[in-house]
Amino acid sequence: MGESVPGTKQCRAWCFLGLPLLLTVAAGARASDDVEREFSVAVLPLLEQKCLACHGADAADLKGAFSIRDREHLLLGGESGEPAIVPGDAQQGTLLAAVRWDGLEMPPKENDRLTAEQVAAVERWVVAGAPWPDEATQARYRDEAMQQAVTTEGIRVTTSGGTSEAWTNRRYQPDDVWAFAPVQGLSAEQQRQLLEGIDVAAGSRRESAVVDALIETRLHAAGIVGGGRADARSLIRRATFDLHGLPPTPEDVEAFVAASQRDPQAAWNDLLDRLLASPRYGERWGRHWLDVTRYADTGGMSNDYERSNMWRYRDYVIRAFNDDKPYDQFVVEQLAGDELADQSVRQRTDGSDTEVERVQQSGEYLPQEAEWIVATGFLRLGPWDNAMVEKEEARQIWLDDLVNITGQAFLSTTMRCVKCHDHKFDPIPTRDYYRIYAAFSTTQMAERQVPFLPQENRDGFESGRSHAQRMLDFAVAEKNRLVEKRESAARSWFEERGLPYQDEAARKNLDDDAKPPRNVGLDHVDEGQLKVREQDEWIWTRQLERYEPMAQSVYNAASFELAWNGARKLRIKRAKNSGEPPVCHILVGGGLTARGDVVQPGVLSAVPARLASTEADPFLLTEEISGRRLGLARWIADANNPLATRSIVNRIWQGHFGVGIAANANNFGGKGAKPTHPQLLDFLTADFVAHGWSIKRLHRIIMNTAAYQRASLPPADEAWKAVDPDNRLLSHFPKRRLSAEEIRDGILQITGELQERPGGLPIMPEINMEVALEPRMIQFSLAPAYQPSRTPHERNARSIYAYRVRGQADPFCELFNLPNPNESCELREAAAVTPQVFTLLNSDQMTDRSIAFALRLERELSEPAAQIDRAFQLAFGRQATDAERRRLLAYRAEMADYHREVTPEPVVFPTAITRSLVEEFSGQVFEYQEILPVFEDYVPDLKAADVAPQTRALADVCLLLLNTNEFLYLN
Amino acid sequence: MNLHRRSFFCGLGASLGAVAASQLLADDESRFAGPLAAKPPMLPARAKNVIMLFMEGGPGHMDTFDPKPELTRLHKEESKLAFGQETGFKFFVGSPFSFRQVSDTGLQMCDQWKHLADPYVADELCNYRGCQAESLNHPEALFHMNTGSRLGGDPAIGAWATYGLGTENQNLPGYVVMTELALPQGGSTNWSSGFLPPHFQGTRLRPTGSPLLDLASQPHKSRAHQRRALDELAWLNGQHLERVGSDDTLAARMESYELAFRMQAEVPGVIDLSQETPHTQAMYGLDAPETETFGRQCLMARRLVEQGVRFVQIFSGGWDSHDYLERGHTARIQSVDKPVAALIRDLKQRGMLDDTLVIWTGEFGRTPDNNKRGGVYSLGRGHNNKAMTMLLAGGGVKPGVVGMTDELGASAVECVHPIRDLHVTLLHLLGLDDNKLTYFHGGRFKQLSQFGGEVIHELLA
Repeated sequence: MGESVPGTKQCRAWCFLGLPLLLTVAAGARASDDVEREFSVAVLPLLEQKCLACHGADAADLKGAFSIRDREHLLLGGESGEPAIVPGDAQQGTLLAAVRWDGLEMPPKENDRLTAEQVAAVERWVVAGAPWPDEATQARYRDEAMQQAVTTEGIRVTTSGGTSEAWTNRRYQPDDVWAFAPVQGLSAEQQRQLLEGIDVAAGSRRESAVVDALIETRLHAAGIVGGGRADARSLIRRATFDLHGLPPTPEDVEAFVAASQRDPQAAWNDLLDRLLASPRYGERWGRHWLDVTRYADTGGMSNDYERSNMWRYRDYVIRAFNDDKPYDQFVVEQLAGDELADQSVRQRTDGSDTEVERVQQSGEYLPQEAEWIVATGFLRLGPWDNAMVEKEEARQIWLDDLVNITGQAFLSTTMRCVKCHDHKFDPIPTRDYYRIYAAFSTTQMAERQVPFLPQENRDGFESGRSHAQRMLDFAVAEKNRLVEKRESAARSWFEERGLPYQDEAARKNLDDDAKPPRNVGLDHVDEGQLKVREQDEWIWTRQLERYEPMAQSVYNAASFELAWNGARKLRIKRAKNSGEPPVCHILVGGGLTARGDVVQPGVLSAVPARLASTEADPFLLTEEISGRRLGLARWIADANNPLATRSIVNRIWQGHFGVGIAANANNFGGKGAKPTHPQLLDFLTADFVAHGWSIKRLHRIIMNTAAYQRASLPPADEAWKAVDPDNRLLSHFPKRRLSAEEIRDGILQITGELQERPGGLPIMPEINMEVALEPRMIQFSLAPAYQPSRTPHERNARSIYAYRVRGQADPFCELFNLPNPNESCELREAAAVTPQVFTLLNSDQMTDRSIAFALRLERELSEPAAQIDRAFQLAFGRQATDAERRRLLAYRAEMADYHREVTPEPVVFPTAITRSLVEEFSGQVFEYQEILPVFEDYVPDLKAADVAPQTRALADVCLLLLNTNEFLYLN
Repeated sequence: MNLHRRSFFCGLGASLGAVAASQLLADDESRFAGPLAAKPPMLPARAKNVIMLFMEGGPGHMDTFDPKPELTRLHKEESKLAFGQETGFKFFVGSPFSFRQVSDTGLQMCDQWKHLADPYVADELCNYRGCQAESLNHPEALFHMNTGSRLGGDPAIGAWATYGLGTENQNLPGYVVMTELALPQGGSTNWSSGFLPPHFQGTRLRPTGSPLLDLASQPHKSRAHQRRALDELAWLNGQHLERVGSDDTLAARMESYELAFRMQAEVPGVIDLSQETPHTQAMYGLDAPETETFGRQCLMARRLVEQGVRFVQIFSGGWDSHDYLERGHTARIQSVDKPVAALIRDLKQRGMLDDTLVIWTGEFGRTPDNNKRGGVYSLGRGHNNKAMTMLLAGGGVKPGVVGMTDELGASAVECVHPIRDLHVTLLHLLGLDDNKLTYFHGGRFKQLSQFGGEVIHELLA
């Protein structure tokens, strides 16, 4: 099926990007045909775009009795009686006042408001007498303008074509389409010029020097002098949190400080080598990627089903970072790893479809193939559930999600708006949206048989399985008890009427008066409980799947089958006569039934990376059932794709400096923040692609810059405050608050409790018990209570391994801005809100940590002063000052007196809880018991009641240190 | 934009950081007013505060305020209505309740409403019958009604309101959420701050245990102990501030400890209902088990609004009557009737109703028909995204009946508006223009209505 493409091909305009574009001509002095030209090309299209819908499109329904259709109506004005324009006078008339938002505010939406340049264009036209040439003249001006690649209105960008000619032919300010332009690396000569007069220190990197030179150029132009190098203690703390998300140990700090005195550059290089080689690195940087891709262990929405073994994708990401997997491979595997596996199977077997499909069912994959399939967990990360959603719509929701997340994660492009219309600001026609949609249209969700990999940790499978079995057995026993009660009442009912007993299934189709009422013998409590137990039965049955070699993935097929409760069980299921792949249309306005033009699978046509495969239209993909996603993925991971390559480099930069060179990491479009250092971004991007797409190399280049190593103390002269108050020019290193995971993991390391874990099943950290046990609605019932892992060894591992339930966030992490996994997170929030204080000061978790911290100090040292010093070293990487030591010793003594007078209550964990819920069929509250077997042989962390008053006093000191700005903010 | 979101105190006055920490803590609080400081409305406001009573599950409009005699006539006859989810044989379900007119303004109520039907209360109510939800299942519809987006993740209406207006009492959260028993489907996403700064997140006032999570000190630590800890912490932070130089973010964080300390003192007083007279407690139904929970929360809502909280939301669960509608709705109505009536009455008596907008709504309405369950005529109803019912009172709303559904209650037919128009109207009553109350995120200025909507003028007094 071919696709018709409207419009003619124009030559690409990227080569003109560097030209100065603004023609400034004094008002009044303009030749009249210049005015008419600007009116035809710019002002009239603007009025039509911004005003016509309400003021002229429908002559019978004019808002405010005002029309912009012609000059006469503008002179006349609307219901106010005032003229809209007074030719020659920009201070009169309602039109200019309205578009300036001066009194009247038109167009009324912030999003539609005219820019200052647009208002100026309208002003120029009014001042020049508001000429309105006839339509033939207008058309001539517009035709002439079209022939020019660059005009005052901007540049043209050729695409596959919009839904209107006006959109197809519209122009863009080069600044707004910067990200679509080819990446411009620096030539050897340009680099040499930049580095003229600069000594690249031995052991440092030339690339880092280029970065510094580019940063210095902007600082210099702004009249700001960059700050000096941070001290060694700050540097090791900064680098360790940056690369590991953990504080450096006191021993590491002292060794680094000593080494830096000998040779700062060598010490720094050694530090980077050590940090980048540690598995802790992937646990930190994998997390950045999981923010973008929205990792969670459940599917969200009404049922919030567990997505069994989603952790395999999480571990894949961590491994990819640790192995420095080239980013282009990383892209392809996540989008099309299953297709790579299919190809591989085809090569090693007889090459038939039958064999490929047989292996898909049996799961007989080689480790590399298994790894590829696990990577496609990426495609399964969005919140999704089809309960009570029409089949076709449920599928549309998922495919839309795939297009959107692909745009955000890999291309830093917002696609959501293009679902319904051509992009308002960026050169993306709705056609391109549906081309990518078509690329996914043969993709089907499935939980697939995929053997575990040797490197995948399977610890805890046995205990996990027996826990789930125990919960299942309890639910089934309770259910059976109620079913038995009901059936015995049913039996009596039949007996009383002298009828033979028929079980529930058998009596289903009898008339209402020939069988007992539905829940005969059960009161509202029984009814409510029965529903809960039935729900629990399959929740725990499903959780037993965790221990099967299963991966959340996809497969290709022409058509899909989806049961009403499909999200509960998604297996590979090919329709008998699956036949031809679906024909894809542009869905006008996003509606499933509003079918517009037919589209073929394809990619973004404004991007100067072409697909080699098709000559007629270099932006189309195969129409076969398989190979669409692989084509899409390879186009994204193409060295010439400026969006994708800049996207990842910008994200890595953001990971180090808190803000990207372009500040909206998910949106490089016209409405996203513009890059502060475009040349720098392009230099790094070109270097990245030229050197094997290595992220670790990029870390080394960035971390070896003077900019990265600057002190966070702002320059003494305060010039920067006026010129660069947000420090985007990097005159000093931007301070940042630790992330939720850094706070929790960092504290566990400081207290000595942090457990290393090579991935695997999600851990269940201890969370606030009120939240853990509070009832939470899911479809039909309540979700089971949260039970933490039984031992400290299991639960005190890093936060990236924690079970992420979409419907139940760990309140501690949520307070410290762990992002909601329903949306791709381009940048973490870090605002200070009051509830953080409650948690940091009062929570059970922080109390436990402070006690563990105190016990560690007591274990390691006996002298009180030495304990304080050690606490400072562990928490801050420095010695206490004399004043601090004195003051905290006194505070501790005072607290010891306090605690001797107080006896803390021992903490008891419940082994069962009573839940209550409103039962819908009765509207009444009922209660039921839920067991919490984890707490039968729970190994708690030590509590206040378990330790001496002296220890509690030291714990008070420890708690203070963990509450300080010095701990929570990184210099 | 993002830069400012991350450290909101940047630019609050460059001299601030130069003040020594100890002085700073004693200083005028208004310098630290921050993002929740009260702001004047954009337009003349009719309401200052909102109390939103959310009936999770979707009350049947034809079983509460929108009588359908035609349904009674067709009871158990086959239905050929095409509604999304119910399949197979379907039959009409007449309401188990009878109805009567309860006000001169034309308000109808089923006979289960006893307290709300009192003219002193009913005369204040507006019953709006024209709203249409778009989604057929709970979380999507809950998200839609609460956040303007079916997908969840966008800011809740209470977050937008506090973003636009701030809040009057800086020692209390500006946006408070209470749930009757269980968290609603979708959980805290229903009161999320979404892409707005986290200050506008709804704060849960918990029905049991600690009212705000970890509000109280550990039991073995006294308030004096806490005070000492804060003094010590302030000293440590002060030392740090001297070393790292002036920094508004750090100074603000220090202040948040003092605010927390004040909240610890203030919150228990606000939520202590024993300060209310026995008469008031009885009026809200605190003396009867079926009304105690919701009554407690309605009374709390009044106290919170009185103390300057901007937006209060209460979730009542269990309205999803697919079966045994009579039992289910009878008990649910009974649990909220007296408390809601008491709330309106109390606000009116105290002169607070004029500037407090009360809304009673579910996430959608219910179908006129049902399908068999287990082979039995199950007398209940499915989800209906074409018709629903809601009550509004006070805050510039015109009492009476607005809009109409068809004779079966299958679809709204008069004054029909999507949820976004309801949202625009609520903001309008608060003196906020949805088109101007925007936040730049994801490449565009976003707004509660997503892409704009219109004020439902018929609802305005």
